[in-house]
Amino acid sequence: MPSIRYGQYLRDTTLVAQSISYNKLAPGITRDTQGKIIPYVAQRIRLQGVDIYRLLKNYTKDRFLEQVKAVLPLAIYMSLFQIFILNRIVEPALSITFGMIGVIIGLMLFIEGLMQGLMPFGETIGNLLPKKSSLPSVLMIAFLLGVGVTFAEPAIGALKTAGQIVSVEKAPYLFALLNDWSGALVLMVGGGVGLAAVLGTLRFLYDWSLKPLIYLSVIPALLVTLYALNDPELEKILGLAWDCGGVTTGPVTVPLVLALGIGIASSAGKGNTKLSGFGIVTLASLFPVIGVMALAIYVRETVPVATILAAANPVATPVGDLPWHETSPGSDIVLGMRAILPLVAFLMLVLRVMLREKIANAGVVTYGIILTLLGMCIFNLGLTHGLSSLGAQTGGLLPGAFTHIPAMEESPLYLYLLGLMIVLLFSWLLGFGATLAEPALNALGVTVENLTQGVFKKQALIRSVSLGVAFGMAIGVAKIIFDLALAHLLIPAYLLALVLTHFSTEEFVNIGWDSAGVTTGPITVPLVLSIGLGVGGAVGVVEGFGILAVASICPIISVLSMGLLAKYRAGRNAREEAACVDIHA
Amino acid sequence: MRGKKPPASISMHEKEFEMNNAKRNITFLTDVCLITCIVQRGLGDTIVQAARDAGAHGATVYFARGSGVRERLGMLGVAVEVEKEVVNIVVATEQMNVVFDNVFLAGQLDTPGMGFMYVTPLEKAATYIPPEVLHKWGIGEKVSP
Repeated sequence: MPSIRYGQYLRDTTLVAQSISYNKLAPGITRDTQGKIIPYVAQRIRLQGVDIYRLLKNYTKDRFLEQVKAVLPLAIYMSLFQIFILNRIVEPALSITFGMIGVIIGLMLFIEGLMQGLMPFGETIGNLLPKKSSLPSVLMIAFLLGVGVTFAEPAIGALKTAGQIVSVEKAPYLFALLNDWSGALVLMVGGGVGLAAVLGTLRFLYDWSLKPLIYLSVIPALLVTLYALNDPELEKILGLAWDCGGVTTGPVTVPLVLALGIGIASSAGKGNTKLSGFGIVTLASLFPVIGVMALAIYVRETVPVATILAAANPVATPVGDLPWHETSPGSDIVLGMRAILPLVAFLMLVLRVMLREKIANAGVVTYGIILTLLGMCIFNLGLTHGLSSLGAQTGGLLPGAFTHIPAMEESPLYLYLLGLMIVLLFSWLLGFGATLAEPALNALGVTVENLTQGVFKKQALIRSVSLGVAFGMAIGVAKIIFDLALAHLLIPAYLLALVLTHFSTEEFVNIGWDSAGVTTGPITVPLVLSIGLGVGGAVGVVEGFGILAVASICPIISVLSMGLLAKYRAGRNAREEAACVDIHA
Repeated sequence: MRGKKPPASISMHEKEFEMNNAKRNITFLTDVCLITCIVQRGLGDTIVQAARDAGAHGATVYFARGSGVRERLGMLGVAVEVEKEVVNIVVATEQMNVVFDNVFLAGQLDTPGMGFMYVTPLEKAATYIPPEVLHKWGIGEKVSP
């Protein structure tokens, strides 16, 4: 009895095969009176329901999963830690879950919108601007773009959220900067990023070495920090100032500024060196420190404490009926609009007025901009209700592991030393895991492996950056718990980094300093900020900023030392080989 | 080290040949054809899996950029990736139809924008063929079990 496989049977009965000649389908050529071919325009394709479903499924699946991979492990890790180690359930669970979904969907829409809507602007402007304008006006545009992208950075919303937790009595100037002066604060950060964009562009054009630029930006930042150390009020702002650097190097700033820089360099026929893409991230995270401290000094000199307290009091008392744009869903949407629309308007203005160009594919770009807007609003909502809420909660409960806190009656849960170890280990693992999963770091690893001809392996870079961030997180949390002065941690660390920089090769200086910026994505930043503020609030210190700052400098040190080690090993191997040859000869 | 040094100009290939001191064989495969399938970036693995399920031995994937249907889909065009993966699968002519159908169905190529595939006849091919397989068809020396 002949047998047939069921699959084969199904295929034979359902798959109907026919043939048709392509000659019948190919369009005929039409010619005009002079015999020239009239270009053929294909007709629109009509889609059926199932086709739309298949296309959209493919389109959304990967982009969705990418964000899920970034958010879900962190959320699960924190929830499990809170439930099993801290014995507290996550509440309100429903609102946090929806918040997390909001973060995932928001980020997915935002990134896709960025690719479809804003990147074409950056590339077109970068390509055309240098041809049509002089260098000073090009640099002016680069500066303004730097300011604009800072406002559009999703993590900047986290600063606003953080500002609501700071106590006005304990740190009046910090409170003032984050609330009344928050616009000016973001503007100063943006100014720093703008300056970095200008210098980065010049670096593209003239192939400058990064080392002097680093000395020129780190040394003033350290001097400002030293100055602030003498003033108890200014000292409280140091954490915020150094953290701002990490906030700026997110998914909007880096690609847009790079697109502009690369466009300018390529139309000038320069910038072919492999390293020219690096450095902007570094500068964009150092200049804002100086900017924020300058603003802080200005506010300190001009506004007395009493004015801040007086202005803060009506805010501090909860008012039942705030206008719609200041309560949660409304404020998040307003914040999202305010972040994106100015940037889009600025890009449009440059393109239409300065360059007199139309954007190609206007429909797709509009779609991208709408996605960006929608994504930013949803992301902000998710940030408020999910990510920041979870971070602040876990952060607030963390000290309960080793000391008594009012929020937890049965605390301390563990012996002092054991509890402290648990908390530090938690921060260490959080830093390690979050960095290991960062897709941008993987991309950097591939670049680095190519650049160094395999001397510095991708895995080695990922490992050293992750270890750096992990130790940075642990030290940062320890800084908040023991209320250490941030300056005492940062100044020696940056001095060490400067010494390492002096001895490192140009490649490793570029890679090392940029690796810090890569790790501070739109999910890590709000999470770490809110954990820090939560811990700070629970142990009763003045401010909980500074974790990001420490977590940024540690990978720089670890990568630079790894680079020196690799160089030393390569040198030793070369010497040994030379010795071997001698013996054989 | 051996006592006799090979001359400096000799290539690795020739050196190996000399050291083996044996004739080398090349066995041509005939009745082969090439199935090429172009799909959106990220979907190449589905295609490779479908081809292997239908009996293909392997596949080569490379990246490319394509255009065509994307521009004709209107707003939904953004859902079609411009970056493509080109999957090359070499199969026996008798396998060709099964692999072709399986790949077509797995890649959902009956939806606009999902991709394109075609078959090219190949004159001959050559690769590693296990000696016992060769022997079974009366080619090469007998292999001790």
